[in-house]
Amino acid sequence: MFRTRAFRDIVVVLVLVFGVGSVAMLLAHVSPIDGFAALFDGAFGTKGEVAQTLVEMTSLLFPALGIAIAFRAGLFNIGAEGQLIMGGFAAGWLGAQFPLPGYFAIPMLLIAGALAGGLWGAIPGIMRARFGANEVIATLMLNVIAVLLTTYLVTGPLQQGGANGSETGPLAKAAQLPHLFGTQLTWAFVIAIVLAFVLRWVLMRTVFGYELRAAGDAPEAAKRAGIDLSRVALVAMTLSGAMAGIGGATIVSGVLHRFNTGLSPGYGFIAIAVAIVGNLDPLWIIVASLAFGVLQTGGIGMQTEAGVPREVVSLIIGLVIIALAGRRLIASRRST
Amino acid sequence: MNATLAAVLAVLALTLVKATPLIYAALGGVLSERSGVVNIGLEGILIAGAFTSVVVSGATGNPVLGALAGVLAGMLVAAILAFVTTRLAVDQIVAGTGLNIAALAGAAFGLVLIYHQPGASHEVPALGHTGEIVLIVLAFAAALALHVVLTRTPWGLRVRACGEDPSAAEAAGIDALKTRFWAVVAGGAIASLGGVYLALAELDLYSDGMTAGRGFIALAAVIFGRWTPLGATGAALFFGFFAALQFSLQRAGVPSELLQALPYLAALVALAGFAGRVRAPASDGIPYVRS
Amino acid sequence: MRKRFGAVQAVDGVDLELQPGEIHALVGENGAGKSTLAAIAYGAVRPDEGSVDALGVVGLVHQHFKLIERLRVWENVLLNREPRRGWAIDVEAARARVRELSSSYGLAVDPDALVETLPVGIKQRVELLRELDRAPSVLLLDEPTASLAPSEIASFFATVVDLAKRGTAILVVTHKLAEVIAYSQRVTVMRAGRVVATHLTSETNAEAIAREMVGGEVPALAARAATALAPLLEVRGFSARSGTSVLRDASFEVRAGEIVGVAGIEGNGQTALSDALAAIVPFTGELIFDGAPLRASDTPASRLARGIRVIPQDRRHEALVLDWNVRDNVVLGRQRVVPRSQYGEAAREVIERFDLRPPDPDAIVGALSGGNQQKIVVGRTLAGTPRLVVAYQPTRGIDIGAAALVQSRLIEARNAGAGVLLISFELDEIFATADRILVIANGTFVGAFDRAGVDRGRIGALMAGHA
Repeated sequence: MFRTRAFRDIVVVLVLVFGVGSVAMLLAHVSPIDGFAALFDGAFGTKGEVAQTLVEMTSLLFPALGIAIAFRAGLFNIGAEGQLIMGGFAAGWLGAQFPLPGYFAIPMLLIAGALAGGLWGAIPGIMRARFGANEVIATLMLNVIAVLLTTYLVTGPLQQGGANGSETGPLAKAAQLPHLFGTQLTWAFVIAIVLAFVLRWVLMRTVFGYELRAAGDAPEAAKRAGIDLSRVALVAMTLSGAMAGIGGATIVSGVLHRFNTGLSPGYGFIAIAVAIVGNLDPLWIIVASLAFGVLQTGGIGMQTEAGVPREVVSLIIGLVIIALAGRRLIASRRST
Repeated sequence: MNATLAAVLAVLALTLVKATPLIYAALGGVLSERSGVVNIGLEGILIAGAFTSVVVSGATGNPVLGALAGVLAGMLVAAILAFVTTRLAVDQIVAGTGLNIAALAGAAFGLVLIYHQPGASHEVPALGHTGEIVLIVLAFAAALALHVVLTRTPWGLRVRACGEDPSAAEAAGIDALKTRFWAVVAGGAIASLGGVYLALAELDLYSDGMTAGRGFIALAAVIFGRWTPLGATGAALFFGFFAALQFSLQRAGVPSELLQALPYLAALVALAGFAGRVRAPASDGIPYVRS
Repeated sequence: MRKRFGAVQAVDGVDLELQPGEIHALVGENGAGKSTLAAIAYGAVRPDEGSVDALGVVGLVHQHFKLIERLRVWENVLLNREPRRGWAIDVEAARARVRELSSSYGLAVDPDALVETLPVGIKQRVELLRELDRAPSVLLLDEPTASLAPSEIASFFATVVDLAKRGTAILVVTHKLAEVIAYSQRVTVMRAGRVVATHLTSETNAEAIAREMVGGEVPALAARAATALAPLLEVRGFSARSGTSVLRDASFEVRAGEIVGVAGIEGNGQTALSDALAAIVPFTGELIFDGAPLRASDTPASRLARGIRVIPQDRRHEALVLDWNVRDNVVLGRQRVVPRSQYGEAAREVIERFDLRPPDPDAIVGALSGGNQQKIVVGRTLAGTPRLVVAYQPTRGIDIGAAALVQSRLIEARNAGAGVLLISFELDEIFATADRILVIANGTFVGAFDRAGVDRGRIGALMAGHA
């Protein structure tokens, strides 16, 4: 049952979380027991907190799914953050600009998010397919360009209000994702889970998924089997960006009810850790995103209740990424 | 002195100020990449340099000690990256990304621990005007020095060999993994000076997010500068120039975001091959595993 | 000297001695153990048993150069041994040293040239200069003329002869008998890891050496009724390049229902041939399949659609996805043709027909033995009705039982009407299965034989470049 590698990875994650976490807590003059108790309490203590944990989970799940698709195809998409922001912007702008009929509103926003994010993923995809350009650098650059572009649009030509003129206008009620269980959790959660199952099905049970995985796992053999590697790269990057874009759209539609430049506290980067910990498998990524959602929300509780700075959580996430960056990714990398 | 001349000089001075941290970071990136290790973690090294230099300067009252500590911190952080990528063959890109996240968070955590306030440290003894000029001049000196080292010293030749073809280098008796390790660490030392400059020369404190993506701009400079020390310095100056013009251009109606986006757009253009053939060292980014 | 790699005894009890000033040729077919022996003598590989004793430095010029393309000539020649002035490299001294070596050995090179801009013959000079700078008393040359043009070969050997006159002991690992006869004083023939014979070159000749290289016996061949066969693949003036493999001006044909064997030593254009037929690399010339031309701009998918299937040389990197299971690997190449519901059936068919062990469609391919991995590749290639099968080293590195099974399935495919182009470095294999035999040497086709008129010694000589 315990595939050696996956089991070892989970052990590493737990060691980092509890080990580094304990050290950090001691440095903050807090006993680890109190610290971790506050963490879990912050994540699960009240109904509202559980809902918040699931909201964070959802915001991580979308980009993580996108990253997993790209990584499975052998492409390093480090640009989920930018793709998410573009998707959120498109949804925010569309939702505020146009009076959309009730039942169309939400699907249109999600589609807008997917298109914008997909475009943002397609750019490095094309650069890779046509020019052989390294998609890592391209996606990194596009992250920053996305922030700058949306900032410009939202504070300038398309400005519609907000504290410093940094957001689009509020969405109409029809464009807001409906809530679940009377909490701040929305249907985005359900959409994300369904999407994860759909993606898994596509990856494992369709010809498209077969060719994508072959391109990532054995590009030379895939080429000789008639698979068009350039086309796979382009489609995978676009799809990957679209996933992150939908994520941005759900944040706009379900959480903020508007787009603003502070939309994402780095979800696109944390999602890299989520994808890796989830072993690039959509179903395991659901579990991983829950774990990281716990860390995110718990971190806040840990700070307010036990006085441990929540940056500890980000620190642990960074170390997890470093520690787990080996393994599965190497085969795909060497073949590019 | 008429007004135009004064204005031009002001812009030039500001260009140097803006470019200097970029130059340091870019030089560190060049050294690392010429040995074959893509260093996405430059941002994290800048943060480590900036934060540590402030803490030590505050603790000892001596900004020079702070600067030295900053360099050591940069080397340590680079050493972590170097270790996992050469010995454990961990993926360089992903590890670098993790490093940036960890460094930013670590520094923020440190702020709270040491200064009991989030967001920024207290003001600490800084390097002052003289120190700032020294660091600026040193940046250019470092560029020249790196150029000479890479092209004219035995170690530089070995670094380049490892970046192009580590197995051929090993056939000539060079230890590719060790050479890469030290190249990355040395690169970290140089890059960290960019952080030191930001924290102790341009300002006199550390604040959350003060590096503002300069590590990534430096990466763009490395690419745009064709992976050479002089080219990367030129690219950094180019980017610094536009950063310096920001205020004037803004008044002329050019959106500041466009100016800020310039380095990244330039790198994209270079990557797509429009700025002439751009080739990284042949083994850049590929972990070397001894068979 | 003994050395084993996995299941293969590469060198099996070899004694070899070189005398100062002699040019000693080491010949043999692929897999005879020559390169391994050279690597051991150089010190790159440690033997399981045996010892190497050398008076002085041993230098090795590799078959595939160990040069760094983007560095200059002097940087490559003196890498890790650079002359210094204080802390810097004394570039002038380095250039001077290269020029000195250059004129001393008659190997003209420009010290400042970037290696990647140099033609192959000059690159080899750089590789040679690098070893010569170490003043070796023994120089090993591994297939040194493999990539050289005829004019370059003459000048290369002039250098070698000169080096020998100066007292260096030289071992030339080669399969080209013309060079052996022309330049060596002694020749050692290896086969299957053993030394077959050592002669004074003056006391033997090319035919005799060729016979010793390939062995004298001709295995009994299954008789085959000659019937008029329809042409399937017609090749005229065909040239291609894949990496370092170059094929020039090939003209031949393969008919439906026949096995055409391409016999040759590795490195003579076989990879270019296979890759061009698979549309991995382009070609020039004419390629007509089933009456319609194939284009250099075709994609691998279009060749597969026409019924042209290639079994590549390197199953681990070019044919299989090692992390996947048997079922998914069986479908690779036909994933758009076979519906998902039939994956299981396709896997079962290959498992049964090829006696896969273990007979488990969920087994991970990376964990299977080489023989079983190859069975999957061959099995899926022969499934359905392929028109043309290009089998490149189909029994490389697999056990005898699996090899026999693969060969008999290829014969069955032929009997069912497919055309088979069998590219192999093992003459035994070609003799066991081919109806016609083509010989490839020096990057082009040099001979064609029908089964009836086959003479093993003659083929061996042709393969070795001896007309």
